[in-house]
Amino acid sequence: MKQLFFLLFVLTTCSLFAQTTISGIVTDKKGAPISGANVYLDGTYDGTATIDNGTFTFTTEETGEQTLIVSFISFETYSTTNLVKNLQNLTIKLKEDVNTLDAVIVNAGAFKAGENAKVTALKPLDVVTTAGAMGDFVGALQTLPGTSNVAEDGRLFVRGGDAEETQIFVDGMRVFSPYSPTANSIPTRGRLSTFLFKGITFSTGGYSAEYGQALSSVLLLNSIDEPEEERTDISLMTVGLGIGNTQKWKKNSLSINASYINLQPYQELYPDNNEWHKPVQSFGGEAVYRHKINTNGLLKLYGAFSTVNFDVTQQDINMQEGIRFGMKNRNLYFNASYKDFLKNDWSIQTGLSYANDYSDLDIIDDSVQDTENAAHLKLKLSKFYNSRFRLNFGAEYFITSFNEDYTALNEDTYNYTFNNNITASFAEANIFFSKKLAANIGLRGEYSSLLNEFTASPRASVAYKSGANSQVSLAYGQFYQNPKNEYLKFNTNFSAENTSHLIANYQYVKNKQIFRAEAYYKDYNKLVKYNTEQPLPTANYSNNGGGFAKGLDIFWRDNKTIKNTEYWVSYSYLDTERDYKNYPTRATPSFASQHNASVVLKHFISDLKSQVGLSYNFASGRNYTDPNKSGFLNSKAKNYNAVNANWAYLISPQKILYFSVSNVFGTQNVNGYQFKNQANTNGIFESRTIKPAADRFFFVGFFWTISDNKKDNQLDNL
Amino acid sequence: MKKIAILLAFICVTSLSAQTQYEKGMTKAFELWKNNESAKAVQMFERISSVEKDNWLPPYYAATVEIISAFDIKDEAELTAKLNKAKTLLDAADKLSENNPEILMSYALLNTAYIAFDGQKYGMTLSGKNVAIYNKALAIAPNNPRVVLGKAEWDMGAAKFFGQPLEPFCKDVKKAIELFKKEEQTIKFYPYSGLERAKEILENCEKKSSQN
Repeated sequence: MKQLFFLLFVLTTCSLFAQTTISGIVTDKKGAPISGANVYLDGTYDGTATIDNGTFTFTTEETGEQTLIVSFISFETYSTTNLVKNLQNLTIKLKEDVNTLDAVIVNAGAFKAGENAKVTALKPLDVVTTAGAMGDFVGALQTLPGTSNVAEDGRLFVRGGDAEETQIFVDGMRVFSPYSPTANSIPTRGRLSTFLFKGITFSTGGYSAEYGQALSSVLLLNSIDEPEEERTDISLMTVGLGIGNTQKWKKNSLSINASYINLQPYQELYPDNNEWHKPVQSFGGEAVYRHKINTNGLLKLYGAFSTVNFDVTQQDINMQEGIRFGMKNRNLYFNASYKDFLKNDWSIQTGLSYANDYSDLDIIDDSVQDTENAAHLKLKLSKFYNSRFRLNFGAEYFITSFNEDYTALNEDTYNYTFNNNITASFAEANIFFSKKLAANIGLRGEYSSLLNEFTASPRASVAYKSGANSQVSLAYGQFYQNPKNEYLKFNTNFSAENTSHLIANYQYVKNKQIFRAEAYYKDYNKLVKYNTEQPLPTANYSNNGGGFAKGLDIFWRDNKTIKNTEYWVSYSYLDTERDYKNYPTRATPSFASQHNASVVLKHFISDLKSQVGLSYNFASGRNYTDPNKSGFLNSKAKNYNAVNANWAYLISPQKILYFSVSNVFGTQNVNGYQFKNQANTNGIFESRTIKPAADRFFFVGFFWTISDNKKDNQLDNL
Repeated sequence: MKKIAILLAFICVTSLSAQTQYEKGMTKAFELWKNNESAKAVQMFERISSVEKDNWLPPYYAATVEIISAFDIKDEAELTAKLNKAKTLLDAADKLSENNPEILMSYALLNTAYIAFDGQKYGMTLSGKNVAIYNKALAIAPNNPRVVLGKAEWDMGAAKFFGQPLEPFCKDVKKAIELFKKEEQTIKFYPYSGLERAKEILENCEKKSSQN
């Protein structure tokens, strides 16, 4: 009984404690009152919201030390611990949360696509539904400003740089031969299949110190962490077939897909201007295994294997019977990456990629076997001090071993080989001074054992939010890249090639509309030169080349004005000259066009359950050398024009019929000219126009998805 | 002595009822929510969750109210700020009660808020996630009326888009209504609601079906 009394006494008295009043005012950094902020004592029911003038008052029966918490959306949560009686007439200044969508973004040079991007120039679907892109993500990126249309090549040429100045990374690890090999004048395609990726960052300059060995541009692809569900995809296409399957378990998932492409039936229906002895036949298989470790750790293993075979005779003005070119290529790529969060706000990212590429080429009567083994190892650590300061640093190692066996018609054999190993380390700080001002500052060091050379590349970019919807950014960086394999196999007495980028960017984003303008200046130094018609073992090589590229890139995207329609317009102006390879003088190279423009339009017609797409590409004529005139790269070919169309029809939620035509109007485009080595009797060098293999390309495909989710389809794979 | 005991017992009872501040707080929060003071309701639920550290209901409601209020927002920055906050709260609830079908439904609702804002941008990635959530919830709680209703509503959206018949899903809505009626309401403040909405959907469903 006594115990009960005591208990009751305690219970009754506890409500008799004296009340303390807690009060104060909540403002932002500048002292403007914040109304509606949540103010309370942690672990109690006592609290209130601030009123219009930012003040708050509430009473509590708590005593002693208590923690007062003030939180408001878009601001960092504030807390203070003190004796209750001291929590009076407080003035609390909340710091803006810099992790919000309207905070400034350091983005000079970069375009992002994917769910996590704050400003998306390309949406995930765009990568695959852009007319003319033919389901190749590289094709979709070529509708962004900063790229030059080089129709006969198909790779990415960025801001006056050639295709090898762009490097591609998957989950931070280098991809060594990202493009399928093709014959001359036939555009290539990326080897990686689009559907494995959830995010793409395409940087046309001024990128982070984390990435090196790229003079002009990096393309960063992030693979899917966790597939949504188990599914099977079947594709039947005019050019081949494909099958994919995803399996999911509790902590693991596995996706595999295989494709077989054979252009023979197509080429029999629509012959092109090449004589195919063996049309392109390719087989590719990919597998991704993902394994979750503990709560946040994720291990990804990606493997891809592909083979490409063809045998073709292509026209050549100097050889009446044409040039016969046979190719057997085999490529194996493996990529393992691991990321995890560690204690004290550290995180780790590490990986390994390995590639083995073997090509057996027959060029007229010569035979060439190339073997390249390459690997990339990387370790990166990040420390998240707070939302305003983050430090990343790491080290990486690149190994390339190249071997070529060359057998000439007369049975003479030659062997060329080299090992190109590079050690690199980098550090970068991401700093938010406020929601309006942010900067990334980094430094990268590289040592090449082959060239016995150390290079240091400082990188910096800063962004300032100039208005509610607009921002300006500036970026500067030094970039180094070792000379290409085709030179290194003959000579290794080189320095690394170098560029510096200076970029100024203005961006305006409002309500599903994006406007971007970017001006840049690139200075090229130490480009490789040689004094023969082709790179040969007998040539004299030097690093005496150089050049510049400057220009303006404009981008406008509007998803709002026209109902059910999205469109974007890109324009790039490029002024570039360089002295490299065997150029006798500084000149605008043949891959650079002064004006490039793209218009891409997508319209969804609900009644027809269809999405139709149209795109228009324009590139002003590119230079070539006409030996009938004096000078080097002295003439301009005609402009490039192509209108492309596609139509995706959803037969049912899981079955899609897809039609696509590139260059609908069959515009006669010119890739360049070839001239005779010898002048004819009238003293004139005769010429041949190099045209695309075919003016139009038709594609029809049927895509079928089998999964529990009756709404899923392969629209994202097209 | 007896009198004193009774008196004390009475005081004890009143003070005990005063003690269930949890109930008072929750009731207050629901009142705020009902009176369209979503922001204040969210704050109340947040405060309650700072005390009730083992109870998944306060953070669940804080998140859910935040998500529902996000559907009216036109500014993307505000939308993501709100939904990020809701996600943090839902994660907290999920830690306290794993594989809870009600929490899973709120995760699906969160994704739906993004999809409703910009289908082209968020639809492709998030609609797959939602289907996975509904399938998971249905496997855990096949007789939870809110799960059955949520999945039916989602499927109807897809069927409408492709011009397919809605009847099979009307059946699911009917089943949900039966389950709602059978549901035993034993836990205080548990989110039992949804019957009214189910009835509304069924009415529309039957109208549309009879038109076809």
